[in-house]
Parts: sequence; structure tokens; C-alpha cells
Amino acid sequence: MLKLDRVSKSFSTFQAVKSVSLTINQGEIHGIIGASGAGKSTLLRLMNLLEVPDEGEVEINGQQLTSMNSKKLRQVRKSLGMIFQHFNLVANKTVYDNVVIPLELANYPRAERRSRVMECLQFVGLDSLMDKYPAQLSGGQKQRVAIARALANKPQVLLCDEPTSALDPSTTADILTVLENINKSLGVTIVIVSHEMEVIRSICNRVTVMADGEIYDTVKCKPTGILNKENSPKYFVEQLTKDVEIDHA
Amino acid sequence: MLDTLGQYETEIWQAIGETFVMVGVSILAAVLIGLPVGTLLFLCRKGNMLENRFLFSTFNLLVNTIRSFPFLLLVVFLIPFTRFIIGTAIGTIAATVPLSIIAIAHYARLVEQSLLDVPKGVIEAAISMGASVKEVIFKFVYVEARSGLVLGLTTSIISFISYSTIMGVVGGGGIGDFAIRYGYQQFKTELMIYVIIIMVILVQIIQFIGTNLSRIIDKR
Ligand SMILES: Nc1ncnc2c1ncn2[C@@H]1O[C@H](COP(=O)(O)OP(=O)(O)O)[C@@H](O)[C@H]1O
Ligand SMILES: [Mg+2]
Repeated sequence: MLKLDRVSKSFSTFQAVKSVSLTINQGEIHGIIGASGAGKSTLLRLMNLLEVPDEGEVEINGQQLTSMNSKKLRQVRKSLGMIFQHFNLVANKTVYDNVVIPLELANYPRAERRSRVMECLQFVGLDSLMDKYPAQLSGGQKQRVAIARALANKPQVLLCDEPTSALDPSTTADILTVLENINKSLGVTIVIVSHEMEVIRSICNRVTVMADGEIYDTVKCKPTGILNKENSPKYFVEQLTKDVEIDHA
Repeated sequence: MLDTLGQYETEIWQAIGETFVMVGVSILAAVLIGLPVGTLLFLCRKGNMLENRFLFSTFNLLVNTIRSFPFLLLVVFLIPFTRFIIGTAIGTIAATVPLSIIAIAHYARLVEQSLLDVPKGVIEAAISMGASVKEVIFKFVYVEARSGLVLGLTTSIISFISYSTIMGVVGGGGIGDFAIRYGYQQFKTELMIYVIIIMVILVQIIQFIGTNLSRIIDKR
């Protein structure tokens, strides 16, 4: 449903993405993994034309994004959600006001906005925090707000750029569970960029491995499932002293 | 001292009125024109949404030039322009022209700087949601930059008050002019001190309001 056809992107003289072709299938959770600087984020940002390719085409459901005028492109972007490593919430708006923005942008019927926002917040389990500001939330809660915001307009695709890389292992598991839920129960296609193998393996059906701006390989895989990581101090101590003579300093 | 004050009561009130007109018009110009110009500078800057070298350089040069003029020279330099717009270059209303010009340039620069402080990621999120340039500015950038915009305006207003004190040279009046004409030239030092006290109090009040307002609206 989402197709990149020989896309390239350079920053001044540095070629970050080199003639990459990739198809994302409807309904899959597609991982993109690779070392830092491999061009993963750039590739993801090419998918909604946040970066305009120097060459090549981007196509969604048969519509060519690269040849659209800006008005049409904005329309298409409303059906593509995106979340980021650092959440990118509007810090001066409450949780509720953050989630309602995409509805305002899409001219969603005024009378139905509230119930749609609440629906999205309930989905990520944050309806009780609707009047808080982002600064009052934990990292995991901020990412949930960002997810709710990305879901508001019922997107077909959710683009995730290192969505868990700023979070601790247990919160990472929570967020991955939410993403998996979005895919399973709402049928949203997900593209997830990460440099963490465990994150990618836990939920992806297909994974693209990138190196130096190119696709090294794309492999099918069976999601290993999300390991529910513990967050208790007891667990940390256990992990630290595993295989070692116990020595409480 | 109170005797001398009583004697000049009407003149003092008139002078205060003139200062309010001059500073008031400057504030209006700053908000109505300086804010858009600062926003344009921000948008046209390299790497931003409406990147445009020509527009950016033009406005950048204009703002820099106006701000680098010694203000007294700017007032004199603008006399023909003021006469063209108002019909005369003398008086309180005429004085608002050079004041507005400096006000626009002054606030535009502070606006640009406040907007540059907005995290790039927030703007990216906005674009990824399909926001237009106008929506990015009004629903994201101004919202995130609002406390900086308020603080900048506060600083600007205080500068405008200072600039307005020299408008006596073109018959603009105001309390600065009053202090010079009566306090300095007629050797009534207590009048000058009185005016200085008024100004200090005024500036304190404005700074107090600005600082607190910007803190209240800052949820970051
Ligand atoms: N806006 C930019 N300007 C200049 N260089 C960039 C920009 N974005 C990315 N790059 C460069 O492109 C390369 C790939 O970046 P990125 O796609 O972010 O990699 P990854 O997400 O895999 O870590 C890096 O070397 C990075 O420095
Ligand atoms: Mg990256």
C-alpha cells in the first residue's frame, strides 16, 4: 500500500538514502533496523514527504505523493500518523488540546471532537490525565499522548521513528503493546524504525535491514512477542548480581 | 516640591497623555506589523518552511539598518517620510511615525528570536499532521513561543518609552520633553526628579506585569 520507488536523498554532499525501493504491505508491522546514521529516519521521513526525495517516487494506495500539489499532500498526510522519539507534543497545550489538534486541522465536526478525543485517550489509557500538561507526564505517558494524537484522524498508516528509544524497558514494553493493539484491533499498518533488535523482533512481521543508506536485506519474521520487563528495584538487583558472587556494596 | 508640582499639573497631565499616545501607537505597530515581519523572517530563514533567501536578506537588512541608526538621526532622516504620511513632521501624531518604524524593527527581531526557540520537532509533528504554514504558525509555533513573545514585547515597550522621551525635537511632547523644558532648562530640578520617579515606577509596573504574565502562560 505504501511504495518507495528508487528514492534518494542527499544532505549537501552526503547521500543519506541511496536509490531505495521498498513496499510496505497493508496490515503489517514493518520494522526498519540498522546502525546509527544508516538512514532509517530519513527513509521513514521520505514516506510522508517530510523529506522530499531528490529522485524516485513515493506512492500511497496508488496515489503518487511526489507529484502532488501541497494542498493534496496535506490531505494525504492527515491519513498518515507519525510518532517520534522525543514525542514532539505541544508543551503549552493540555493532553486534551494536543489530541484535538489533528481533528481541528481536518475540520472534524465540532460536536463530535470531544468524544473522538476521549475515545483515543481511552485507547491509550490516559483519559484521566486529559487536563494535564506534557511537562507533568512521564516519558511513557507522553508517548501515549503522541500515539492518541496520531490516531485521532483514523490513519491508515502509523510511522514510528524510534518510539521507545527514550524509554525504560518496562515502559518500552507498554508502548509496544499499545502499538501492537493498534495494528491488531484497528488494522492500522505500522512502520517502526529502531536500532534495538529486541524492539523490532517483538512485534514485526517483516524487517528491513539498512546500512549506509541502502537496504541490506528485507526478511520475513515471526514476532517473538513482547517480553514484559520488570521495573522493580528487586529485578534490577537480580539482573546486576546474576552469575556474580553476591556482594552488596 | 508639591507646590511646584501643583503649579504644573495641567502640563504634567498633558505630557503623560502625549507619552501614552506615542507609546500606545508604537505598541500597536509592533504587534500589528512587527509580529508578522518577525514571523516572515523566521519562515524565510534557511531550512524553514518558506525558505527564501531574497526575502530573508531584504527584511533582515532592513531591520538591521533601522536598528543600527542612532535614534535621533532616524527621526531627522524620516522627516520627509513623516510629512508625506501625516502632512506635517511636527507634533505628537507626527512623532508616532519614527517611533512606529523603530518599534516594528525592534519587536520583529525579538519575535524572530522567540520563534527560533520553538523545538524543530514540534514543527515537524505539525507538518506530519498535514498542517498548512498558517496552521503551523498559529496552532503550534505561536502557542509554544507565547511566553517569549510576551517577554519580548515587555522589553520593547520599555524601549519605546525611552525612545519617546526624545521626541521633543520634533515637537512630540511627552514627559521626557516636559522634564527637559521645565526641569532642565528652567532649573526646576525637583520637576526632573519627579518625572524620573514617574518613569521608574511605570517601567517597574510594566516589567512586573510582563514577567508574571509570561510565567503564567508558560506550561513548558
Ligand atoms: N537534516 C539533515 N541535514 C544533514 N544531514 C542529515 C540530516 N538528516 C540526516 N542527516 C544525515 O544523514 C545520515 C542518516 O541519518 P538518519 O536517517 O537520521 O539515520 P538513522 O535514523 O539511521 O540514525 C546521518 O549521517 C545524518 O547525519
Ligand atoms: Mg534515527
